[in-house]
Amino acid sequence: MAANKDMGEDAKAYKKSGIILLMGNPNVGKSVLFSNLTGIRVISSNYAGTTVTYTEGTFKLGDETYTLIDVPGTYSLDATSEAEEVAVRFIDSKPLAVICVLDATNLERNIKLGLDIQKYNIPVVYALNMLDVAKRRGYEINVGLLSKELGAPVVPTVAVKNEGIKELTDELKKVIKRSGISRGSCAYKRTGIGCDNCAAKRTGIGCGGCASCPGCFINYMNTWDRAREITAKVRKTSEGKVSFLDRLGNSMLKPWPGIPMAILVILFSMGIIVGTGKLLQGYLLGPLVNEIIVPFFRKLISSVVPAGLWRNVLIGEYGIFAIGFEWIIESIFPYVFLFYVVFSFLEDSGILPRLSVLFDSIMRKLGVQGGSMITILLGYGCAVPAIIGSRTATTKKERLLISCIVCFSVPCISQTGALISLFAGFSPMMLVLMFLLSFAEMMLVSTVLSRLIKGKVDPMIIEIPNLLIPNGKAYAKKLMLRMKNFLIDAEIPMLLSIVFAALFKETGLLDRVAVYLEPVVSGWLGLPKNAVIALILGIIRREMAVAPLLEIEGLTALQAFVGGTVALLYLPCLSVFGVLAKEFNTRTALAIALATTLNALLVGGLINQIVHLLMKLF
Amino acid sequence: MIIKNYAQKIQSLYYAKDNRLYVIADVPDLGILRSLGIVKNAIIYKKMTHKFGGPVLLMIDSSQIAIGKDIAEKIYVRG
Repeated sequence: MAANKDMGEDAKAYKKSGIILLMGNPNVGKSVLFSNLTGIRVISSNYAGTTVTYTEGTFKLGDETYTLIDVPGTYSLDATSEAEEVAVRFIDSKPLAVICVLDATNLERNIKLGLDIQKYNIPVVYALNMLDVAKRRGYEINVGLLSKELGAPVVPTVAVKNEGIKELTDELKKVIKRSGISRGSCAYKRTGIGCDNCAAKRTGIGCGGCASCPGCFINYMNTWDRAREITAKVRKTSEGKVSFLDRLGNSMLKPWPGIPMAILVILFSMGIIVGTGKLLQGYLLGPLVNEIIVPFFRKLISSVVPAGLWRNVLIGEYGIFAIGFEWIIESIFPYVFLFYVVFSFLEDSGILPRLSVLFDSIMRKLGVQGGSMITILLGYGCAVPAIIGSRTATTKKERLLISCIVCFSVPCISQTGALISLFAGFSPMMLVLMFLLSFAEMMLVSTVLSRLIKGKVDPMIIEIPNLLIPNGKAYAKKLMLRMKNFLIDAEIPMLLSIVFAALFKETGLLDRVAVYLEPVVSGWLGLPKNAVIALILGIIRREMAVAPLLEIEGLTALQAFVGGTVALLYLPCLSVFGVLAKEFNTRTALAIALATTLNALLVGGLINQIVHLLMKLF
Repeated sequence: MIIKNYAQKIQSLYYAKDNRLYVIADVPDLGILRSLGIVKNAIIYKKMTHKFGGPVLLMIDSSQIAIGKDIAEKIYVRG
């Protein structure tokens, strides 16, 4: 139906005509509804602030094609965060209509936003979402009365099950058609729906500003009072069922049993990623790559390309068809896939915000607040979405702190996969030590930078979503989208770096460069001179700072650990550098790149020198 | 932290007793709090305060909200 255009902030988008906005509180199902309407898959999660940029798509209503914009979730139109500012700019841009998604389980606050939107005199259709959850909790909502009170159509929807979408688009069509006839401040004239007190409805004449209409929202200066009044009228509350998930969700917020449960969740998640990854690597992908794919290409290329430079480039030690499969498919892909299997589950189930609450006091000591933990954890997948996701932070200092923590100390999952493969021949303790080193670095960086960077970090204020079992279809779609993004965004630079590595090695350039870098690589870090290639490729992709070490024969445990340390702390990859420059500025990106490189060489070298000194002493 | 005020005492939300209903008496002028409905005269149910400087958990309408110590200390409640 349309091309996916996740555009970030683009001033031109505010000037477009004929756009329809999809608005609502955070975490009410807007992104799922957007996917249902446009066919474009958007990553949505069970916590506030997933959409910090907006996404544009097109959809058809009858014969007309409209542009739909998935606006970042906003609690109000006060622009209290960067994401909310984007929402305000959109509604100021005179859109054709707004689809406002209401969360049936939190009616009062959602109606308040609806009333704020209505003040802009734009035709609105309400999608009353999560009605199924509201019923389970004992809320009975009179949809017809709600529609009258709001003076606009209200359509019950269950976005994750694709229910109510047709009815919603039908109402939207009617509202847009009517808005062509009458636009103005009178909600009744625009929509044909009015409450019992509506003067315009009684007389059939538009009130022209509703100065005398007691039922019209415009008369209510305090929209909170009006939202409470409407909620009290349309909602009946009875004793709801407290499900097992509700009880579990509440338990996970208390230190006991919440903290032990959180530790179990983290250990279990790591177990699935590392354990299953190793099984896949050892029993499925390893034999597939080494016994079938690579020998097939070796045989094929050897029969076509004569021995020499080009055959080596294609299938030699660093050959494109050898390491291209070994590094990407065998060493990295299983861990990336499993990370997103686990992380997407944690996101959609609502576990992550609970971890934020439990670990808020620890995070505060690190200079950030508990809510930032979700963004940092996202960095264990890839630093790029984590840095973009830091937009949800309310101050510039916190954004910078989160980005620095991710760049300095958090390995991305591709890199973790490469590290697991690197340490596989030694002891599993090396991986544990590497993660401890990463945490130590995280503490050091946040403690130092929180004192050095000027400004403040706001305390945590977050809404805790319901704990739920993720919807299978939505979960599978999200996983597929993430893997597709990984294959497109990461595989191409990886393949390029492999081609570069092959040419670099086979043309003899590596040996020449190695001479200049030998004092650092071999002298200070104690690595074989071939490891130079890891430092160079690490600039393109982070995992490529590890992968070449897999090819070096006779690597000692100390060399593997030092190489892993340098790779862990080394320069963020080119994509991360680009995002840092875009989100902050080039100076900040350069400063982070330089600081991480020096830090990596310093820490890696110190480990090498200290261990050698200890070996000499004992 | 407790200020005597006519019939009902006004106290900081952070130190108020758990598992009770309160009415907000005074709240810092922060957009995010307003947006979440934590405004003067709103009725909230305080669930608990996490130890060691952790956040306060409260319910407003049917949403559950966690508020960090530094802000929760500045929210005053009656009840």
